[in-house]
Amino acid sequence: MEEQIKFENAQARIEHIEDVLTSVAAGNLEVRVESTVEDDLTGIEEAINILIEDLTWELKQSKKMKEELEEKLKKIQEQQKTIIQQQEDLLELSSPVTKVWDNILILPVIGTLDSQRTQIMMENLLQKIVETGCTIAILDITGVPTVDTQVANHLLKTVTAARLLGADCIISGISPAIAQTIVHLGIDLSAIRTKATLQDAMLYAMKKNNQLVDGKIQVDKYESEETVKNK
Amino acid sequence: MHEIVSDKNWENLGQYPVQTEYDIVKVRQIVRSYAKETGMGIVEQTRITTAVSELFRNMYNYAGGGEVLIEKGQIEDHTALIITCIDQGPGIPDIERAMTDGFTTGMGMGYGLPGAKRLVDRFEIYSVVNKGTTVRVMKWR
Amino acid sequence: MNIDFQERRIPIIKIRDYLIVSIQVDMHDKMAVQLQSQILHEIERTGAKGVLIDISVLEMVDSFIGRMLSGMASMASIMDAAVVIVGMQPAVAITLVELGLEMPGVNTALNMERGIELLEKMINDSL
Repeated sequence: MEEQIKFENAQARIEHIEDVLTSVAAGNLEVRVESTVEDDLTGIEEAINILIEDLTWELKQSKKMKEELEEKLKKIQEQQKTIIQQQEDLLELSSPVTKVWDNILILPVIGTLDSQRTQIMMENLLQKIVETGCTIAILDITGVPTVDTQVANHLLKTVTAARLLGADCIISGISPAIAQTIVHLGIDLSAIRTKATLQDAMLYAMKKNNQLVDGKIQVDKYESEETVKNK
Repeated sequence: MHEIVSDKNWENLGQYPVQTEYDIVKVRQIVRSYAKETGMGIVEQTRITTAVSELFRNMYNYAGGGEVLIEKGQIEDHTALIITCIDQGPGIPDIERAMTDGFTTGMGMGYGLPGAKRLVDRFEIYSVVNKGTTVRVMKWR
Repeated sequence: MNIDFQERRIPIIKIRDYLIVSIQVDMHDKMAVQLQSQILHEIERTGAKGVLIDISVLEMVDSFIGRMLSGMASMASIMDAAVVIVGMQPAVAITLVELGLEMPGVNTALNMERGIELLEKMINDSL
C-alpha cells in the first residue's frame, strides 16, 4: 500500500504559493512564501524563496552592469566630441593664411584635401582677405598630390567667391594629376588664374601690385590700409 | 515622391504665414535666429537663410502665399533645423525639370530649387497639380 | 539688422562724380526694384559717372537681390555710368557661388577705398 502524503492546510498553502509566484511574475520580488508548519511541503516553500532571492540578486547585478555600461558610453561620447573639436582645430591650424607682402596673402596647403578641409580653408581665406584688405591671394597646392571632383569644385568655388569679394585668387603648384581632374570636370580654365610654382605666383602678384618694376622691388609702393594706419 | 509628414519627436518652433513681401523678410530673419541658436556658424546661417528665402519667394510668387513650419529635431546624430513650406497653389507639374539648373517658368526666373537644394543638408519636395506644394529643407551644424 | 516694415528709402549720396548707395536693411523684393529705379533716376538727374553700392552690412543676398544687382550694373552701363559693388561678406560670396549666381560682368571691390580706385580707373578707361 502506498503511503499517503498528507500536508497540513495543503490547499491554503498551495494557493499562497500560487499568489507569491504570480506576484513575482508581475515583477514584485519583495514577496516571500510564508511557512508556519514544518513538513514535506516546506521544502518547496523554502526552495521558492531561495529562487526569489537568487532572482533579486541577478537583477541587481544586471542593473549595476547596465549603469556601468551607460557610464562608459557617456565617457566615450564625450571623448568623441573632444576628438571632433581637436580635428577642427587642427584643420584650421594646418592651413594658415599668411600675409607675405603688402597686398599678398599666401595659403600653403599640405597633405590630402578632403571636402571638409577645403571648405574650412575657403572660409578662412575669404575671411582673411576681408580682414587684411589684400586683393591678391595665392593658394599653393604644391603639397597636394591629387584632388577628387568635390575638392576641385571647392577650389573653383574659392576662386569665384574671392572674385566676388573683389580679390584675385591664384592657384599655384598644380600637379599633372590635378590638371587632368580639372579638365575632366570640364571646368573653364579661363576662370582660374594658375601658376606652375609658388615663385611664379609671387612674381605675378608683385608685378600686378606694381611692386616689381623692371626687375626691381618697389617697397612701400603699395599702400595697404595697415601702412596708412601706421603713418 | 512621398507625402511630407512631421516626426512627433521634433520640437515645434512655430508656424508662420508668408502672405506679403514683409513676411518673407520677417520669417527668414526668424529662421536665421533659430539657425544661430542651433549653433550654426555664420556661413551655415547664411546658407539656410538664403535657401528659405528662395522657397518663400516661390510661395509668394507662384502660390499666393503659404505657411512656414519651423521645427527642431534629431536627424542621425545631428540637431537639425527643419523648415517646411506648405502652399495650396497650382503645384509643380514637372518636378524633375524644375530641379534642373536653367529651368525657367516663363517669368524669366526658375523656382530656385536646385540652388536651394545645394545650400541645405536635406531637401524634400511633394507637389500635386492644382492642390499645392510642400517643400522641406533641413540643416544642421 | 532691424526689421524695417516701413517703406523707407535707401539713401543715395553724391560725392564728386559718384553716387554712393549704402544698403543697410534687409530688403524685400519690391524695395530692391525701387532702389534700382531710384539709382537710375539719380544717374540721369545728377549726371554721375559712377555708382558705388556698399553691401558690407548685407548678411544675405539671394537670387532676386543678386539679379537686381547685376541688372543694376547692366542698366547703369547703358546709361554710361560704371557700377562697383563693395564690401560683400564672405558668407554671402560663398552662398552666391553655391546658388549658381556668379554675376559675371559685375565689378566688385573689397572696400570703399578700392571701390573708388576702380571706379576712377573704369571712368578714365572709357573716356
